[in-house]
Amino acid sequence: MKAVFFTGKGGVGKSTLAAAAAWQLSRSERVLAVSLDPAHNLGDVFGVALDDRETRFTATLHLREVDVKKRARDYLARETRILSETYGYLRTLNLDRCFSILEYSPGIEEHALLTSIEKTLREANAFDTIIFDTPPTGLTLRFLALPEITLTWIERLTAIRRQILDKRHTIQRIRGPREGGGASPEIRLAYDEGEDDILKRLRVLSDNYAALRRTLQGEACRVVAVFNPDLLSLRESERLIGGLRDLRLPLSLLIANKVTEENRATAERVTSALKRQAGRDVPVAAVALNRAFGLGGDTPLYDIAEDLTAHFKSGGNLHV
Amino acid sequence: MTAAELLRCCRRILADFNDAQRESLVSLTRLEVQELENIFALLLLGSFVGLPAPPGFLSVELLPFMEREIRVLHRRAEDAGDMLAEIAGTLGID
Repeated sequence: MKAVFFTGKGGVGKSTLAAAAAWQLSRSERVLAVSLDPAHNLGDVFGVALDDRETRFTATLHLREVDVKKRARDYLARETRILSETYGYLRTLNLDRCFSILEYSPGIEEHALLTSIEKTLREANAFDTIIFDTPPTGLTLRFLALPEITLTWIERLTAIRRQILDKRHTIQRIRGPREGGGASPEIRLAYDEGEDDILKRLRVLSDNYAALRRTLQGEACRVVAVFNPDLLSLRESERLIGGLRDLRLPLSLLIANKVTEENRATAERVTSALKRQAGRDVPVAAVALNRAFGLGGDTPLYDIAEDLTAHFKSGGNLHV
Repeated sequence: MTAAELLRCCRRILADFNDAQRESLVSLTRLEVQELENIFALLLLGSFVGLPAPPGFLSVELLPFMEREIRVLHRRAEDAGDMLAEIAGTLGID
């Protein structure tokens, strides 16, 4: 199984090209196209109504639009349940209502997106390729950076936690066994690494995020940057490529979209500037602007003349 | 006082002295543990007091297990005005 992420500035044609690539690939393999953009238009490109469940478009092409709000709600519902179980005596109070505000916390949306990628990669074993249509650059870079940031935090918190347990152990050893069961609160506290709930939870989180980071940085994950032949698109794509490099997510294809006879010279300049930044060995594809789309012709949006499949056929497989 | 009683009395004094020494050793470590617990809670829940915080969900994930740390954080916040006195007391400075 391979995963391909279509990234780029808003409006450059990520969804259209993701749909086109999915459509072309689905002629020879089983493909799942997933939209992660909160402002979905994957369904619009295919002319069907989509939701959080997989929808069969053809026998080999399935589509889905991730409901980020629902993911955030599900996640918070689960956390609220754990909280209510831990603080059983508070069950009579309306905790759900108090926690609903967390839905608007910064970070929850990125986390929900990341969780849905992880879940999709884990569960979509019936497909050969999964194509992700991502939100515009800013949000995409934020959620792709999340495993790295989270792992750094987990690492630091684990170190402090270990220090706490180590010192608790020291206290326990110095004090020695007490007579008459008069144990002080410190003695009753967990000092063994296997007994401490916080450390156990940190370990689980660390394992999950490390696995996800391995998957994202692995051979079978491809990132495609879509851009238009204009200055704004160039600047944002440069930031995207820089951001991806910082995250050690190598770019595997650059696609210049909406290329016409008039802007061909600009397209070449923009492409060579991005190629210089991305590396000489990153392949480039150019997709011509189809004026018939704007005029509402009969050709479906996803049916483009250029063949994008060759770039996705090789490479390793995902092991999630 | 018989010899046996004297011996028992001496043993008791030594045992108490031993306990007192151990407690005085532990007191500094105990303060360190509490400070570490306070730092741990502050790092994780710092957004409550306007500090930069980890990704929100990390705080939410660990919140159910943080009862003691939050209590320590609270106590530290109350004692913050007189931390110097507390440290001086623990280190035995008059």
